[in-house]
Formats: sequence, structure tokens, C-alpha cells
Amino acid sequence: MKKIHRLLLALFAVGLAVSATAAPTKNLNIYCWSEYIPQPIIDQFSKETGVKVTVENYASNEEMLSKLAAGGGEYDIIQPSEYVIEALVKEKVLHPLERSKIPNLKNIDPQFLNQPFDPGNKFSVPFMAGTVGIVVNTDLVKDDIRSYADVFKPANKGKIVVLDDAREIVTWALLANGLNINQITDKSLNKIKPTLEQWLPLVKVYDSDSPKTALLNGDVAIGVVWGGEGAILANKNKKFRWVIPSEGTHLFIDSLAIPKTAKNVENAEAFMNFILRPEISKQISDEFPYLNPNLAARELMSKKQLENPASFPAEEELKKMTLFKDIGTKGSDVEELITTLKAQ
Amino acid sequence: MLGFLAPTSGPKGSTHRAPGIWAWIVLSPLLVWLLLFVVAPTLVLTAVSFAERDSLGRIVWNFSVQNYARAFDWVWVKILLDSLYYAFLTTLICLALGYPAAYFIGKAPERWRGLLLLLVMVPFLTSFLIRTYAWINILSKEGFLNSLLISAGIFNEPVAMLYSPFAIILGLVYNFLPFMILPIYTSVEKLDNGLVEAAHDLGAGPLRAFSRVILPLTRPGIVAGSMLVFVPSIAMFAITTLMGGGTNPTIGEVIFKQFTAGRNQPFGAALGTILLFVFILAFWLARTQRERED
Repeated sequence: MKKIHRLLLALFAVGLAVSATAAPTKNLNIYCWSEYIPQPIIDQFSKETGVKVTVENYASNEEMLSKLAAGGGEYDIIQPSEYVIEALVKEKVLHPLERSKIPNLKNIDPQFLNQPFDPGNKFSVPFMAGTVGIVVNTDLVKDDIRSYADVFKPANKGKIVVLDDAREIVTWALLANGLNINQITDKSLNKIKPTLEQWLPLVKVYDSDSPKTALLNGDVAIGVVWGGEGAILANKNKKFRWVIPSEGTHLFIDSLAIPKTAKNVENAEAFMNFILRPEISKQISDEFPYLNPNLAARELMSKKQLENPASFPAEEELKKMTLFKDIGTKGSDVEELITTLKAQ
Repeated sequence: MLGFLAPTSGPKGSTHRAPGIWAWIVLSPLLVWLLLFVVAPTLVLTAVSFAERDSLGRIVWNFSVQNYARAFDWVWVKILLDSLYYAFLTTLICLALGYPAAYFIGKAPERWRGLLLLLVMVPFLTSFLIRTYAWINILSKEGFLNSLLISAGIFNEPVAMLYSPFAIILGLVYNFLPFMILPIYTSVEKLDNGLVEAAHDLGAGPLRAFSRVILPLTRPGIVAGSMLVFVPSIAMFAITTLMGGGTNPTIGEVIFKQFTAGRNQPFGAALGTILLFVFILAFWLARTQRERED
């Protein structure tokens, strides 16, 4: 027994020693979306600066938020969407940026800067933007589909994939009813309930991670999906047509920000500046074709990339799109409404 | 709790004696593990389930029972019942498929058993997600099975197999079948052939010999296998979302969503605590049932 005791003590000592020595000076902990920052870009940053980069991924803004709120993980860079930046700024949990360290911010299209969620970009720099729209497999669907109302028709029952995201689905129903997408109240939720009661039974698949799979496999013919997914589908096969819903849609701006708890602020700012380099930003667009807000990067991109309507909506369409605002605790009500209707 | 964990010799009522100090020492790593990674998180979860949250989803330590009041709304009860139904169906099918397989392996010549057991395990050497995506490719409309059936002339046009209750049950049964086969195999292997022969000699037909001798003797394996399949399949939501299309919410999925998109960890924790009580109830029922029969 004593031997076991000693063995355990020895193990404990080894554990202590290992954790004490592993503390090199140059580190960067990134907490970002899955499928958004290509690995070669991280490797290149490490090579150029000698900074050891650790990457962790999340699949939704709220997943990141709950981890951040719980105080877990010491992240130097996070990648929230606009409404989450708004909440984080309000709660004063972001570190103010030193603009002189991020000169490449000049490459960003001014229409993506100085937004209401972060006036003067004191806390965030835009990474990618994008929208949600309709993808139609024109081989399987001959109707002319232009709106959410055209998608969610009884004739399309069992042919539809939508994002598995309660806020998104509620947003489309609000738009179809001509309501403000950021005024989520008990009243507005009650108002759109009949619409959702008609819509949800028609849906075959809910998938936020890779809605293109069900479309590519032919299991569904219509999708309401992220622009980036739509762009990949359109590149793969001409039968996939991208449509901006006539009732409107929303624009998202995913940005990079530094939490106040960050330990490596300088490395984080260096990474932001690196990401905003034209050739780096273009590489990201090659892999994940979202709306690139980097004008200098767009100059390097091919005509085919720039003309993909799922990546780059027309200027007048872009002007009509609204940004999400933070809805705080109402998120739970939105979640409950959709879950209730799904379970019926 | 600890008394329940303590090593006992034989069922209650027989020669029951208190575990010696050595038994506790040998068990101590397991006990520490259980305390740190089972008991402590469960207590934290229970504590959170009585708390509130702020707009960012941070936990606010105000005592409240509203999460439990809400958890008994019909929606959540229905989702729990649906999940239990799927888990029950999965267990039943696993038993129907797994018992004969386990019996066959257990009665196979000894030199074959290792290989046959290995074959049961081989698919599980690859990642769960890869296997699930493989099923998506097999079952989809432009997938392997549909093209095979069409080229064989059985179907005229592709049939929707994926994203259906059928696909959910298939995925669950496929993933949990080994958990049924292995415990039953262990029981079958220990089965004394002499007793089966004696039953035959005393005039029992195959059906009677099976129901009166083989089945009772392999029941420990059946109970263990059923628990191992039933309990995890209640909360398994990866399959219902990936292969079922996410149209029927399951209890595991709604708990996950409360912790993330709903920004409501206390409510998720309340649902989780209720689920835990359902597990305990199921376990307790199985145990008292066994004791009564003994």
C-alpha cells in the first residue's frame, strides 16, 4: 500500500512540475467559429511571429457567450456576431482596441464600420459579413420562388431544409408579417405564431452546421440557409439558384474582439492586423465564400467570386438589410416558441 | 449513496456483511473519481437549477423554483415522453437483434468467439460522427442504398429514407447494439449446458427449455444490456438531429439548446435534474423488480 502511496505522490509531483514549466511567453488563444478561419492562415501567423496559437471552436454565438459568461477559458480573441458584440459592449467585458496597432483596418469598406453595435469600432474589427437567403434546386422545383411565403407552401412539404436556429426562423416569420425583426415581445411572438404553425410542419430538415448536405444529396429541394453555404452550392452546380427573399432578410457582421480577461492583448491585436491583410483575407474568402468587407482583398478576388450573388448581394439589396440587435433574456422565449411548435 | 456503492457479497438478505477497510481503500480511486466527476457536477447542476440568469446568460444566485414550474409544462413533458418512447423502442429492437446474436456467439466454438466478438466491435473503432455521416450517405436520396435498389429494379424512383423516424431508430439501434450483445454474451458463455440438457431430458420442448431455463439464467445479461442501451439513448441527440433532421426535438437536444441559444442555464439544469430523476427511477424500478423476483 505504501508503494502505491509513493507512486501516487510521485505522479502528483510530475503533474505539478509539468504545469509549472509549460509557460512560454508568446501565446495566443483564439476562440472562433468552426469552419471560418482556415488552418494554413493560423500556421502562417505562427511562423511569422513565433507566437504559439491555440484554437478552440464553437458552433453558435450563444455557445461562446455561455462559456465566456461562465468565466471559462482565457481567450485572447473571440469572434462574435454584431448583436453579441452589442451585449458584450453593454456589459463592459471587452478590451478597447489600440487602433495604431491595427493599421490594416483601413482596408475595410466604411459601410461595415462605425455600426450601432460598436460606434467608432472601439472594441471590434469586422471579419466577414453575410446574409441569409433562399437556395432553390431548379431541377426539382419549377415554381418561381421569390419569398419566404413561396418557400413555405403546402406543395413544398418535406422538401425544405432550414437553419436550426430559433432566432433565424422567428426573424423570417416577422419579416413575412411585416414586423420589425428586433422588436421581439410577447405580442409580436403571438402575432407570428399562426405563421410558424403553418411553416414548421413543412420542414424536413433543421441544420445550421451544414445545410448544404441535404440539398446536395437531393433529400430536399429548397433551403433557407447562410449566404456562404448558398455560394458553395452555386459554385458546385448551376442548378442551385440563390434568392434574396422579397420580404427582406438580415445582414450579419462577424467581428474579432478581445475579452477583458485576455492575457495576450498585443498578440491579439497583431492577429487582427494580420487577418485584415488583403492576401490573407482573400485566402479566407477562397475557402469560406462569405461577404468579404475587405475592399483591398476584393481587388485580389476573381470575377467569379465577386459575382456570386450569395456571397455579394447587390448594393440596393444590401441597403435594405437590417442587423440583429441583442434580445437578452427574450432568447429563451424564442427558443421555447420554436421548440413547442416543433414538438406538436 | 455510498452504501449503494459499497461492495456487497450476494443479494440483500443473504450473507450480507459490511465491507472491510481494505475494500474501501481499494475502491478509493473510484470513489474519488465518482465524487469529483459525478457527485460534484450533479450538485452544481442541482444548485444552478434553482438559480436565475441575467441577459448575458450569467447565473444569478437568487433562489427560485420557477424553472421547475416551467419544466412541467406539457411541451417539455411531451418531449421527455417522446424521448423515452424512442429509447424504449431502441432497447426492444436491440434485444430482439442482440439476443440471438449474443447466443450464437456464446455457443460458437471457442476459437471463433474472439473473432466474432471482434467483428461486433470493429465498426466502433472509427469515430461516432464518421459512422453517422456514413449512414447519411447510404440512406440519402442520391445515396448508395437508393441507387442500388433502383438499379436492381425494386424501386422506380428514390425513396425518402433519411430524415425520418425510421432513420432515427436505425441510427440508435446501430450505435447501441454492441452494448446489448456484450453483456448477454457474458451470460450465455456462463450458461451451464448441463442444465439445458437436463431440461430436454425431463421432457421440455425447445420453447419451454428456452423460457424456463435459458432465459432466466441469462437474465442478468438482458437487464444489464437493456440498461446500457436504454439510458444513453434517452439523451442521445446527435442522431436525432443528424439522421432525423431535427424535426422531433428530444430531451437531450432541448437541454443543450437551453444551455446555448436560450442563454438559460438554470432552466436547462432543471430539465437535466428531472432527467436524472427519471434515470434513478428507472434504475430503482429495475432493482426492486429483481429483488422481488429473487
